[in-house]
Amino acid sequence: MTAILTRAERPYDPADLSSLAFWSGTWRDREKTFAELRAERPISWHRPVKNGLFEDPNDQGFWAVARHADLVEVTRRPADFISGEGILFESMPKEFLDAGQGFIAMDPPRHTKIRRLMAAAFTPKQLARIDDHIVANARRIVDDIAERGEIDFVTEVAALVPMHNICDMVGIPEEHRRTIAYESQFPDGWRDPRLLQGADPLGRVAQAIMTCQAIAMELVEARRRKPENDLITAMVQAEVDGERLTDEEISAIFFLLIVAGNDTTRQSTSHGLKALTDFPEQRAWLMEDLEGRMPMAVEEIVRYATPIMTFRRTAAHDTELGGHHITAGDKVIMFYSSANMDTEVFDHPERFDLSRSPNKHVAFGGGGIHHCLGAQLARRQLAATFHELLTRLPDIHTVGEPELGNGNFFHTVLSMRAEFTPEKKR
Amino acid sequence: MKIVVDRTKCSSIGLCEATAPDIFQIGADGELSILIEDISEDRRTDLEQACENCPTQALSIED
Repeated sequence: MTAILTRAERPYDPADLSSLAFWSGTWRDREKTFAELRAERPISWHRPVKNGLFEDPNDQGFWAVARHADLVEVTRRPADFISGEGILFESMPKEFLDAGQGFIAMDPPRHTKIRRLMAAAFTPKQLARIDDHIVANARRIVDDIAERGEIDFVTEVAALVPMHNICDMVGIPEEHRRTIAYESQFPDGWRDPRLLQGADPLGRVAQAIMTCQAIAMELVEARRRKPENDLITAMVQAEVDGERLTDEEISAIFFLLIVAGNDTTRQSTSHGLKALTDFPEQRAWLMEDLEGRMPMAVEEIVRYATPIMTFRRTAAHDTELGGHHITAGDKVIMFYSSANMDTEVFDHPERFDLSRSPNKHVAFGGGGIHHCLGAQLARRQLAATFHELLTRLPDIHTVGEPELGNGNFFHTVLSMRAEFTPEKKR
Repeated sequence: MKIVVDRTKCSSIGLCEATAPDIFQIGADGELSILIEDISEDRRTDLEQACENCPTQALSIED
């Protein structure tokens, strides 16, 4: 056991996980640092992220959890490592946490009750029931590009499939969808000058939250008058501990659902097409039995993409992790992109291997109470999208290198060119 | 074998349903139902995995 040091006394690990430069590189660049940490210093203390959004004088750093086994342990100790203080690296103004993070940043018992309200819509059986619908959404998106031969894959495919599916489930009509999908990028994308276009980061995040809140409230009013079969109606009608959810709570859950629904599968789809381009032998293997091999392929696409790279917990009290004394209030960051490359769990994790089995990736979480609500939705969407693309546009491939984001949360692809032989007019 | 659900812990996360959909089901009300009351011995591995996977340790096997 290491000596107990206060936050201010702890020396910082020499590896850099905190600079914008680190997050502006590729995952392969970052993996060099993660590999060193996993091998030598699997739990390490780092200087705070400098972000310019919000200066928190009490933010003295964070613990980095790099190994698969430790990450699983942290997610499975929700009483020791809580979410209610925030789930991002950075400290955030309290109003942002309340307005933007919904039940993802809640702890039991409230988390349990709110999450249960959503559960029925996302179970494997329910997703199987709406699979025709998910397939139809994928088809209509491929219809729109099929004759073009050249597209920006992110905006024309990867962003649209999850946008339509989550909006269908939540109950967001067509006219609001593009706005919702665009605004959902800012809770992570505020670091990126290409997205900000000169706007003040804090103001721009607030604007994104307010824009989505206004849409949420409009829909809440509409569903109170006339219930539909969607998640907004479920939230409007729900009672938790004998009380209705407040408008603020519904707004925050709404915001969580659209961000989590849009910005995750978007990244997996983009990284997936890039990997299928870079590993033609894997693609050939998949094509030999597209239907039968798709479920395995989807798991590997999700591992390889790791659309969410980090989640934070905060120590609820003094505790211990991997031989380190963790002090109450310490930030503990789990690095999913590192855990998904852990050689203790994966053979040659650097290889994109669609036949990988078992594939114990943590892209949907380490199996704790915050395990991805939308995991089955994501799987169904990726299967539908790649099935549609690979059968109708069999030579679709990326061209050049994707333009990557610089955030530390989503593994963002901002844009990526794709080309294919156009489908003949039908 | 029987499956016992601790209702104070279950959050309806649904990993059990993903493991054994013929035994576990999250209903429209978000409540977990056990679809088979007396589960045959040859399903023990599935049940153990469902118990092990449960994020809230809400499941146990009763022989």
